[in-house]
Amino acid sequence: MMAEFCGNPAVEAGEVLMPRKRKFDRSRICVKCKINPGNLVIRHSVYCKGCFTPLIFTKFHQALEPYINHVSVGPRRGALKPSGALLIGFSGGLGSSVLLDLVYQRYCANVGSDNLKGGREHPRKNKVWQKIYVCYVEVSDIFPETSDRTAQIREAIARYDGFELIPVRIQDAFDRTWWERVSGGAAPDLAGLPFDLGGGDSEPVAALQTHIRALPTPTAILSTLSTLTRLLLLYTAYSVSASHIVLGTSLTSLSISLISSISQGGGFVVPQAIQEEWFPQFVQRTIGDTSWNGEVRLVRPLRDVGMKECTAWVWWHQLLVVGKQRIPVPKQTIGDLTKNFIIGLERDYPSTVSTIAKTVGKLAPRGDSRVRCVLCELPTQQFVQRWKSRTSIRSFTDDASSMDTATSSLPHYLCYSCHTTLTSKSARSTATLNLHSSNSAPALNLPMWAATRLALELGSEQSVGPGAPANEIWETKKLDDGGMKSLVGEFLLENE
Amino acid sequence: MAPKSCALCQNSKAILRRPKTGQHICKHCFFTVFETEVHNTIIQAHLFKPGDRVAIGASGGKDSTVLAYVMKTLNDRYQYGLNLFLLSVDEGITGYRDDSLETVKRNQEQYDMPLKIVSYEELYGWTMDRVVSAIGKKNNCTFCGVFRRQALDRGASGLGVDQIVTGHNADDIAETVLMNIMRGDIGRLGRCTAICTQGEDMIRRSKPFKYAYEKEIVMYAYFKKLDYFSTECIYSPDAYRGHARAFLKDLEAARPSAIIDIIHSGEAFELKEEVRATQKSQQTCKRCGYMSSNDLCKACSLLESLERGMSTAITDKGRRKLEAQGLTPDNMRTIPYFHPSSSVDAEAES
Ligand SMILES: [Zn+2]
Ligand SMILES: [Zn+2]
Ligand SMILES: [Zn+2]
Ligand SMILES: [Zn+2]
Repeated sequence: MMAEFCGNPAVEAGEVLMPRKRKFDRSRICVKCKINPGNLVIRHSVYCKGCFTPLIFTKFHQALEPYINHVSVGPRRGALKPSGALLIGFSGGLGSSVLLDLVYQRYCANVGSDNLKGGREHPRKNKVWQKIYVCYVEVSDIFPETSDRTAQIREAIARYDGFELIPVRIQDAFDRTWWERVSGGAAPDLAGLPFDLGGGDSEPVAALQTHIRALPTPTAILSTLSTLTRLLLLYTAYSVSASHIVLGTSLTSLSISLISSISQGGGFVVPQAIQEEWFPQFVQRTIGDTSWNGEVRLVRPLRDVGMKECTAWVWWHQLLVVGKQRIPVPKQTIGDLTKNFIIGLERDYPSTVSTIAKTVGKLAPRGDSRVRCVLCELPTQQFVQRWKSRTSIRSFTDDASSMDTATSSLPHYLCYSCHTTLTSKSARSTATLNLHSSNSAPALNLPMWAATRLALELGSEQSVGPGAPANEIWETKKLDDGGMKSLVGEFLLENE
Repeated sequence: MAPKSCALCQNSKAILRRPKTGQHICKHCFFTVFETEVHNTIIQAHLFKPGDRVAIGASGGKDSTVLAYVMKTLNDRYQYGLNLFLLSVDEGITGYRDDSLETVKRNQEQYDMPLKIVSYEELYGWTMDRVVSAIGKKNNCTFCGVFRRQALDRGASGLGVDQIVTGHNADDIAETVLMNIMRGDIGRLGRCTAICTQGEDMIRRSKPFKYAYEKEIVMYAYFKKLDYFSTECIYSPDAYRGHARAFLKDLEAARPSAIIDIIHSGEAFELKEEVRATQKSQQTCKRCGYMSSNDLCKACSLLESLERGMSTAITDKGRRKLEAQGLTPDNMRTIPYFHPSSSVDAEAES
């Protein structure tokens, strides 16, 4: 139709055109002090080294401090009084190294010293955070190709006074003793569930490896690891009475993860990806209650600071960066593709990353967001399965209307993204997961929080969902090309 | 490996891998799921009611050729009770439209549907060839897009139809979701996943192929032996959009569900209430009566800038300034006033 005329189908009236990169700003003099020669170009402006440090500081505390008090008291805020401790999620990467430094400089260095500008309200005048934890999640037990970096991380943190390290291992998510510790309750009995949660793998490493092996794509592996990491941090924060988690997500990484999440069906939760309010499933909350009941607020104080500025901070403040662990999965995950794409785009259109974050900041989930996914504990929509089966028919026997009410099957409790992660295949996928019934392998191990919630929701209800999807074997034949056939050839199994 | 049987009917031999789901299925089941998904889309969104007059935006390309075929098929099979028309736009690009308009004319005979062709020349006094020779190859997609949108509405109005269906497919929509986020186009982001759009005076438009993968549309045309023209725009496309499209293809290769997943994302969010409140409301163009968010609609602004020899759309402010200086081109060409749903000339050329 009109579409392929322009190769440009959705061209409509007067679209926004992205500004192209301008080589230089009007002058090479710092835009702030207007005296010193500039050292660094941030988007379209030049800054000198002297003005750069306070600039980053300002961006940092403006993105964090309005959210420190449990109930915000308006723009003219009083003293900063967090309800609990602070937990810094630390990966060893660029952003989290800068974050660690900024938190230290603002809240720890020279606390109580009298010669501070800013008067009574300066955060260093009175100690804002009574306790600051740093939590690091180690993944090396799952991937034999990687090495344990906990010692290096410990060293990096020891360079700052007053931070306490909490080392966590990714398989803790499948560990009953860890769960009993952070949740303060007994782990559930899973025997009564209508589907197999892989009780056989009681050893956490094996349980997580089984879970990962069952995932259909490298994309699914990475997004699973990031979900597990996020929840390990949240439950750890809860267990040490932290009211806040800060992550060193830079503006650049934030925009990448937003686009990546949207590409994985996470549109409902991207508005919360910038900042999240979380509470454990076992905390009872009453509407209108403004007191703190152990909720954790996840904040990204570097969300206005680009990757380039982080690099400059590290360089000018001579920080040592341990580096982020590389997860050994095949390339071409959605996360990787998005990263390459956004970073490439940013070179030609320097406002891309800030535009993405700003745009998503103007969004809200459509509809009721009170129900949470058992796996990622983020809000989920209703009727997700019905939507999927209507738009992509995978079976002639599924009754779409009964799908969302089949409460005995796992998909009922999953958000769109988690369901996609567990089931959506690539052309190369061999893993097949059965989310419906207990009578076919491989079983799906679930992290402790998910298993606990399912056990609560389902009790001892015994029923089995719809039948297993057919096992698929990959088969293609080379086709003679030419004409239209070459366009569809890659999908034809053999000559007609 | 032994030949597999179809994952859907379990009877016939699987001969293709379905691009959207990766399932190995037979040809018959492919037709069934493709058509049923379009039918589901139509039913779920309550797109039509019996007796509706519906114009199919037809270009002779793959999307609209398949759309015309599928619309006819579903209208017969499920008794929608629709009166279907073909509506084409002639942009005036030498060597491009002649061939594809032939395809549309053949469809007119095959499907026995009345056809109407609206040309830029006749409506705006400018063919795309002339636009390009005036402004160069930059930005001309903007001109073309704006002109086409209004041309379709006016053509549809001439046919007296209740709505226009266009062949926008899932790839187009997913790409638009990404583009609008990356460019911060809030207004468009709020409505780009809507299956159906309708401004105040505009004719309702919908996209029955909203969830149909481009690859499956091509596959459908191939198995049904529908012929179409696949012509790339000969004028330079928007580079930014080109990047977005390439990125989408990479995502699809990594995980085929990515396209539908992005559409799902786009449907799952909305603008915050406080942001929505700041959105401009639609009014009508002071010059031609078409819907607009400024004094003049996009087409009138573009047309005026063409007439003034400028290469981008003129703003309200810029125009007032020029008018204050008495600088209005003599005999400036304007678009005829738009009278929505005027059924006077509802006779289709056939
Ligand atoms: Zn300076
Ligand atoms: Zn989830
Ligand atoms: Zn079949
Ligand atoms: Zn107008």
